[in-house]
Amino acid sequence: MSGHDHHHGSYLTSKGALFTNIVDWATTVDHKKIGVMYLFAILFMFFLGGIAAIAVRLELVHPVREQVVLTVSGPLVAPIMNPSALTTPDGKTVQLEPGKHLVRWTEKDGNEVRQGEPMTIAAGKKVDVLDMKGKPLSVDGKEVTGTFTADTTTAPPTGGVKTSTTVKGQLLPKVFGKTDASVAEGNNIYNRFFTMHGAIMVFMVIVPSIPASLGNIFLPIMLGAKDVAFPRLNLLSWYIYVLGSIFAVVSLLATGVDTGWTFYTPYSSTTDPHHWRVVFMVLAAFILGFSSILTGLNFIVTVHKLRAPGMGWFDMPLFVWAVYSSGVIQVLATPVIGITLLLLVFERVFDIGIFDPAKGGDPVLYQHFFWFYSHPVVYVMILPGMGIISDVLAVHSQKKIFGYRAIAFSSLGIAGVSFIVWGHHMFSSMSEVASTVFSALTFLVAIPTAIKVFNWISTLYKGSIALTTPMVYVLIFLFLFSIGGLTGLPLGTLSTDLHLHDSYFVVAHFHYVMMGGTIMALMAGLHHWWPKMFGKMYNEKWATIAALIVFIGFNVTFFTQFFLGTRGMPRRYASYPDEFALLHQVSTVGSLLLLVGFVIHALVFAQSLMAGRKAPKNPWGGLTLEWLADSPPSEHNFDHEPIVTHGPYDYDTTVPPHWDPKDYPIPAENLARAKAEAH
Amino acid sequence: MTMTIPPTTLAEDPTFNWWLRAPAATEFGKDTDSMYMWLWWFCVAWFVLLMGLMCWWVVKYRRRPGKIAPASTSHNTPLEIAWTIIPTLFLVYIFFRGFAGYLDTMVAPAGAIDMDLIGKKWSWELKYPKGAVASETTVIGQQQIPVWYIPAGKAVRLKMVSNDVIHAFWVPDFRVKQDVMPNRYTSVWFKAVAPSGDKRMPEVAPGSPEAASKVKVALSGAPYQDHWVFCAEYCGDMHSEMAAIIRVIPEAAWNNWLEAAGEGSLPPVQLGELMWKTQCASCHTVSGDKNTGPTWKDLYGSEVALSNGSTVLACDDFIRESIVNPQATIVKGFEGVVMPSFAQLSNERINGIIAYMRSISAKGGDDSPCNKTEKK
Repeated sequence: MSGHDHHHGSYLTSKGALFTNIVDWATTVDHKKIGVMYLFAILFMFFLGGIAAIAVRLELVHPVREQVVLTVSGPLVAPIMNPSALTTPDGKTVQLEPGKHLVRWTEKDGNEVRQGEPMTIAAGKKVDVLDMKGKPLSVDGKEVTGTFTADTTTAPPTGGVKTSTTVKGQLLPKVFGKTDASVAEGNNIYNRFFTMHGAIMVFMVIVPSIPASLGNIFLPIMLGAKDVAFPRLNLLSWYIYVLGSIFAVVSLLATGVDTGWTFYTPYSSTTDPHHWRVVFMVLAAFILGFSSILTGLNFIVTVHKLRAPGMGWFDMPLFVWAVYSSGVIQVLATPVIGITLLLLVFERVFDIGIFDPAKGGDPVLYQHFFWFYSHPVVYVMILPGMGIISDVLAVHSQKKIFGYRAIAFSSLGIAGVSFIVWGHHMFSSMSEVASTVFSALTFLVAIPTAIKVFNWISTLYKGSIALTTPMVYVLIFLFLFSIGGLTGLPLGTLSTDLHLHDSYFVVAHFHYVMMGGTIMALMAGLHHWWPKMFGKMYNEKWATIAALIVFIGFNVTFFTQFFLGTRGMPRRYASYPDEFALLHQVSTVGSLLLLVGFVIHALVFAQSLMAGRKAPKNPWGGLTLEWLADSPPSEHNFDHEPIVTHGPYDYDTTVPPHWDPKDYPIPAENLARAKAEAH
Repeated sequence: MTMTIPPTTLAEDPTFNWWLRAPAATEFGKDTDSMYMWLWWFCVAWFVLLMGLMCWWVVKYRRRPGKIAPASTSHNTPLEIAWTIIPTLFLVYIFFRGFAGYLDTMVAPAGAIDMDLIGKKWSWELKYPKGAVASETTVIGQQQIPVWYIPAGKAVRLKMVSNDVIHAFWVPDFRVKQDVMPNRYTSVWFKAVAPSGDKRMPEVAPGSPEAASKVKVALSGAPYQDHWVFCAEYCGDMHSEMAAIIRVIPEAAWNNWLEAAGEGSLPPVQLGELMWKTQCASCHTVSGDKNTGPTWKDLYGSEVALSNGSTVLACDDFIRESIVNPQATIVKGFEGVVMPSFAQLSNERINGIIAYMRSISAKGGDDSPCNKTEKK
């Protein structure tokens, strides 16, 4: 299995002038170019979704948006319930409107009393009234002092009262130039931002991320094929993705939607009436589904029909197995969400009652339809990532993957079971019997997932482990994904889920699985295959540093959210009781660390593209077919159809392609042992 | 089936306070807490095992220049079987423990105090027994937050319905959550433990202006504990402001308070009777005789044959639908009779009618078939 040295030029070779190149890329049917276009589109969308996430986190630094800050000291004799006005020294009266201003009382000995709680203050006892952060603030930049009057039902306090007031504006309305927005308007903007984050990250980033980019580029090469089975269909799927994204972006430019990415009815069918942006966003998800179906279909046929001579099903790299399994789910489940979203559009546009009870529909029906798709799709999101982990782990440990068949079959097992667990998203809206059945089924998914993790960790045993950036990301994946998986247990367990459902615990859990799992696997795969895709090496040191920053930032951001959830913080809240403030602030600091980590990654990639060292054909010593090809591969991947003579992970008996046998001295006993096993 | 760790064990666990702000304020909540803490240590054990092996092997088997990994086995069937079976057994155990705890939270004991809860954008409206209405509020942020008085040590069952979109009723300290639906009743129950801590309602001195208020006198000096109520299902602009406070007070004080707060309002059954007399009696009898519409006597809880050939159990949902949207289902024998919709009736009045119908039905008692099918 040695390469030939005819040079046809790489797939990235310029075809001519700028315009020619643009036309070439726009009309290409080369799976690698389509994959590269997908990759950059997905990374751009990840950036947009990330910006929305940072906006959400910054908004959550402060518990309540608008507040008056009072510092009152001196003996108070009367019970104070709701102060109604403040008088400043220059005689100006600041009216304190219930609901517009917030006051928090703190007794000197540290006991906090919520405003409006019955409170009797003995004469002579000192009381401070502070803001949510415990700091005195000011109006128009200067601290004001004044007297304090309480409402008519309570006697005014006596003694020296010092007050300082301010009205803290809202962050997001300020960003949009509206400093006088009410809390409802501010919340509405917040709601649009978290919806934007969720919708972009799910529909435009995580679902297509690995299959459409790395899968598109490497699935055919790993099979030894020239291209996918239907190259034109592949291009069509890319344009459908573009069209869907345009719908979404147009909706966002029209200030977006506030439905949440799940579009739960009847909220989604009644919010923003007489406006088309919700319909546009729903249609975007509908259209993106077709891109998903076509990609999945293409991969299934490619795997069945285009494997190189000598490659049986169990000689395929595990990445191919994983993308294949997720392709099956995409083809089977996506039509259901397509139909559901279309029904939602019909309800909004033509007033047909399907989900809205006011029109004779049933909102829980929507939830069943939605999760019947969206739960299997969780595995569309994670399975390809698991495939990357299997491959990268083996290559950078130079070790045959442990339990190849167990990993391959567990992918199929997950794909199968994923179709019958959707109800665990609805424990609080279903009957007891249904909840019980779905809880039991949900635990079934844990088994194949656990088997994968055990096999991955066993692969490390007696390996030769190089801590390259891809490998560091594999270890990060194993760490984060284990947490994500284990925290699924209290969510699948009926009694604890009753408490944790729809809380920040769920938010933390699915970020550990989706971001800690899929995105970390994408980062592993991106660094692993970057030299092959673009023929350039990247700065290993800075990439590793960035990976560690991402790792720390991730845990600071999301581990705190587990505590928020168990302590009672509901998800999708624009403001919250101040007891959650500290944890939210820690989480926000973590999200900024994540931002720093990803910016460094972007710089490392940019530096690599512009000035990176030329990559060898097989920098890591991989045995799968893509490492036989040039870096970057030629237009048809291989000069001759490769013939497969060894398994994808036979490290104990195979010298990696393009490597000098002197650098990979295989002990004679290995070969003897392999021979003995073969007989 | 439940293996309950006594609360003392939980309190001794130093990690308990990391996770939960306070021990659960309900009995079944304490079981949820012990389940949670059991799962936490279970997860810690597995995580430490897996990550320990990972880190150890990454260090031990780090790449050494010029040497390749020694040949080692890449498959071990007994090991694969073992690590399939062992987690499965654990998962079966976890499932059944969670299921047992769940059953406790779902089934309200007999004699629970019934209250009605209406969720709407963006507030909660609670109706106590005897027609008492929660009218006390406190101000938090932008929103008037209702304060609800709940007796300690008594089971309370809320029958919930939404006026618009889906909401969810969550009391984190009670470890209980239930969606509130616009098209059907759901219910939730809890039995709050006695208030802990030393907070007391203000003492009302005889002769002071407050002493004129029977409500304030009833609550005077009572120990209390507050618990947050949140809306947990996203419902729009003021979703995060859709909160309430449950203030648990001793049962005796609560009884006094209810007596004082409920004055002047009709109990649901009498309200329902009033509604029947003024709005429904021209078509529906309560004597068992047939009129333009079906009689209400013994209707509640009975099997009703419909014009489409199916039957339905006449419970709250069916009656509510028949009032709000009468043409949705037609009782057999009344085809062609067009009853107008009474959708304009307040929930309180509809619930009153249901309570009245219940009171005049042989199948409306505690053993009513509706109690068995209704979502608890």
